[in-house]
Amino acid sequence: MKDNEFDTIVIGAGNGGLTAALTLQKKGKKVLLLDKGRVPGGFASSFVRGRFEFEASLHELCEYGDESNPGEVYEIFKELGIAKSLETKIIPETFCVYETSTNSYYEMPIGEEKFLEKMESYVPNSKESMTIFFSLCKEVQAAFKYFNETKGHPDSQVLMEKFPRFMVVAPYPVEKVLKEIKMPLRARQILETYWSYLGSPASKLSFAHYASMIYSYIIKGPVILNKNSHQISLALSEEFENSGGTVKYLTGVREILVNNNEVEGIITKDNQKFLTKHIISNISPNVVFEKLIKKENVPLRANQLLNTRILGARGICIYLGLNKTMEELGLKNYSYFIYQTLNSDIEYKRMHSIYNGNLVATLKNYGKDSSILCITSLVFGDEFTRLVNKENYFEIKEKIAEHFVSSFEKNLNVNIKDAIEEIEIATPLTFARYGGHPDGVIYGYLATSYDNLLPRIMTEEQEIFIKGLRFCGGFGSRLSGYSSAYINGHQEALKTLGEDF
Amino acid sequence: MKEFKIGLNAKLDMLKFRDLGINREKEINKASKEIKNNDFQLNDLVKIMHPNGIRVEVTKIIKETDDTKSFYLKPLSIDTMPPFQSGAYITLLVSIDKRTYKRAYSISSSPSSLNEYRITIKKDGNGIVSNYMFNTCAIGDKFNILGPFGNFTYQSLRDQKDVVFIAGGSGITPFMAYLQDEKFLNKINSLTLFYGAKSEFDLIFKKEIDEIKNKNNKIKVIYVLSEQKRDGYSYGLIDEEKLLKEKLDNKSIFISGPIKMYFYLNEIFKKLDIPNKYIRHEIFKEIPENLTDKTFNLTIKMLDKIITIPCKGNETLINSMEKNRVKTLVHCTVGVCGFCRSKLVKGNVLTENTFLRAADKDYYYIHPCVTYPLSDVIIEIPIK
Ligand SMILES: Cc1cc2nc3c(=O)[nH]c(=O)nc-3n(C[C@H](O)[C@H](O)[C@H](O)COP(=O)(O)OP(=O)(O)OC[C@H]3O[C@@H](n4cnc5c(N)ncnc54)[C@H](O)[C@@H]3O)c2cc1C
Ligand code: FES
Repeated sequence: MKDNEFDTIVIGAGNGGLTAALTLQKKGKKVLLLDKGRVPGGFASSFVRGRFEFEASLHELCEYGDESNPGEVYEIFKELGIAKSLETKIIPETFCVYETSTNSYYEMPIGEEKFLEKMESYVPNSKESMTIFFSLCKEVQAAFKYFNETKGHPDSQVLMEKFPRFMVVAPYPVEKVLKEIKMPLRARQILETYWSYLGSPASKLSFAHYASMIYSYIIKGPVILNKNSHQISLALSEEFENSGGTVKYLTGVREILVNNNEVEGIITKDNQKFLTKHIISNISPNVVFEKLIKKENVPLRANQLLNTRILGARGICIYLGLNKTMEELGLKNYSYFIYQTLNSDIEYKRMHSIYNGNLVATLKNYGKDSSILCITSLVFGDEFTRLVNKENYFEIKEKIAEHFVSSFEKNLNVNIKDAIEEIEIATPLTFARYGGHPDGVIYGYLATSYDNLLPRIMTEEQEIFIKGLRFCGGFGSRLSGYSSAYINGHQEALKTLGEDF
Repeated sequence: MKEFKIGLNAKLDMLKFRDLGINREKEINKASKEIKNNDFQLNDLVKIMHPNGIRVEVTKIIKETDDTKSFYLKPLSIDTMPPFQSGAYITLLVSIDKRTYKRAYSISSSPSSLNEYRITIKKDGNGIVSNYMFNTCAIGDKFNILGPFGNFTYQSLRDQKDVVFIAGGSGITPFMAYLQDEKFLNKINSLTLFYGAKSEFDLIFKKEIDEIKNKNNKIKVIYVLSEQKRDGYSYGLIDEEKLLKEKLDNKSIFISGPIKMYFYLNEIFKKLDIPNKYIRHEIFKEIPENLTDKTFNLTIKMLDKIITIPCKGNETLINSMEKNRVKTLVHCTVGVCGFCRSKLVKGNVLTENTFLRAADKDYYYIHPCVTYPLSDVIIEIPIK
């Protein structure tokens, strides 16, 4: 094989790309990993202001657990040889959620039993339905495991025999299934809290997808990293290089070369040419089909698929370095969901406006005398894009931050502003700048009835429009989120291994 | 458990499951085959707010004092300069003898006039760029600049409405943007500027500052001369007594000036128990003492080649690279922004790592703009 020829080229060193590249390299393939930025990880990074190092994007890692209770991501990291080098911590609660319109507040622990009991204490007579819910979760998880083992080609006979209830619930959204198992309304709404993590209301969100996520959080616990997600990104990138992989940062891709509907290679922005028959793209199909592949080589069906898709959530993040500890602030939890209402349909509609009041916050102590608070608000649709221009950008940014911090203070009845020592505000513009995704989207494509987890997984192989071109990461088949991106990157690598070299 | 179903019966649910893929197909079949020209507005705005370098031309040079000049930079590669927040800096690329030097300069013009930026440069000892700019740069010269960058900005959420600026010498530059920033001035209740220089002839922008002050009663200015006694000016250093006269309680203090001034002030603030939250300072480099002038070998593994150059113990790795015509990745030059982040593969160095990420330290990353060699050194940088 010539110097500029590779078994696989991975474009983008985000969570999906890094995992895909390392997986293939470890399987003995010759892999080239390219990124337009300087630092591995994409959004999985951190930044320093004053004496604080801020996590850029990870709220909590799902599917991780620890050595004694490993989740799927842990297993992948173990296989890739990086699990031991990560300093992780399990958060003892799943979430606390506020409904501001009714002044209600629910704090949910980890552990199946404890979760069940706590729910019963908030919503009497929820226990029976919660028990059914958990048993469904188990079957969903087992079914997904089977999906993975069969690399997305499950035998429908086996599915029907072994996972009949999975098959029954799989076509339905969360709300429908929870109603069907007669879960009391309030319990349902509390259980649906994480819906905004997946960026779709419970009436639209795939039950199977949601169940597997929340169940993993409940039984494995949410995980954070002492040295931020940057530690994972760096560990993956270093291990890739140590395994003989070639990584080139500050190397953007200008064109993906396609001939006869097959991938041939890439040309970088500085005009280097690399050849390959296999590309795994961590960058969005929008950018790939609209900007990187010559128009005449883009199959019409790829355009059609793009036209059916809707861009997912944009994010606004306010990173605050506080000169008080959590104890001094009077707050004891890590993760806070603040909704005006626990009805996710109503909330989802409201979230098309920027000043919607929906917040997801994380808080952790930092050193002996300080803490870091990160307040995130999700926005759907393009209101932000329409609102900002070069004249008003700084003002709007400041106004948004003021609004969100005040709202956090009011709803949790704490004083934050007096403790702010460092502040950074990231808007969709910031995410567009660093991630390069269309309009600064952070959650890939919106999950809709025909574009959620199962339809994506089931049609993945037939949607390879150009031979040798696969996608991974937040715009990939497992939708967005850290664990999804790692798992999906791993799977795309394994599927690539199954192709001809 | 009895038959589990969601729809009419479990069999239909299972058929529905099979249809998931088919429904998706149908949806795709319905869609248009043409891509509507999707130019993403926000991604376009990114290019306006954060261009990848700007070609500029010097349109005006003003000699401000004996050793300081202002340069007006007009954009050539774009129509107007990107918007910036007061306190921001740009990185100026200057080619001298086919070597490219990068230095940071605060923008000293108003954030509302974007036809040009003004930067103001003071001759710094034998400094390469500052002397070149002072002595050689002429109207019509063209440069590349990067930025604007920086975090020396006023943040309503964090900072107080009563503000104290403390400037030493050429450290006045970022404050000149603030003083002309109507939006900023509207946000605050009061502003006290302490401006220290050796003599009245070393006060840059005195006339401009006085004019602004006379028009705005929120602003109070105290000039402090360290080597000249004169009516209307304070004498000595900007010390505890002078500061306390202006009451510092619950005010945000912004400092820009020589590092010695910053250390001196910091002692005072510690003694007065002023929390960090109230103190902002412009970034600067602390040059370590007792550096050797021995020459070592610096090997740089780049994306597609490896080169070795000499580097002196009293020069940062970046400075040696500049002198030896090696391309650098530099924005701030003082170890804060992280843009020069490189991997130390081998060798001993003296370095400042306050602004490195924790995990970067574990994997031996450094900021070569604040790293001095103590032996032969090998580093890895993603450049060509
Ligand atoms: C954010 C920021 C904003 C800034 N804003 C401004 C501004 O608005 N105006 C301004 O004037 N400056 C500003 N500076 C400083 C500026 O960037 C340069 O550092 C300054 O102009 C000196 O650059 P130079 O190339 O002339 O000096 P360099 O060549 O970099 O030398 C730096 C110092 O080292 C000394 N030196 C050089 N070689 C030797 C040697 N062999 N042995 C001993 N000493 C040596 C020089 O005499 C000089 O004092 C700013 C810096 C930062 C980080
Ligand atoms: S250039 Fe900013 S840290 Fe080195």
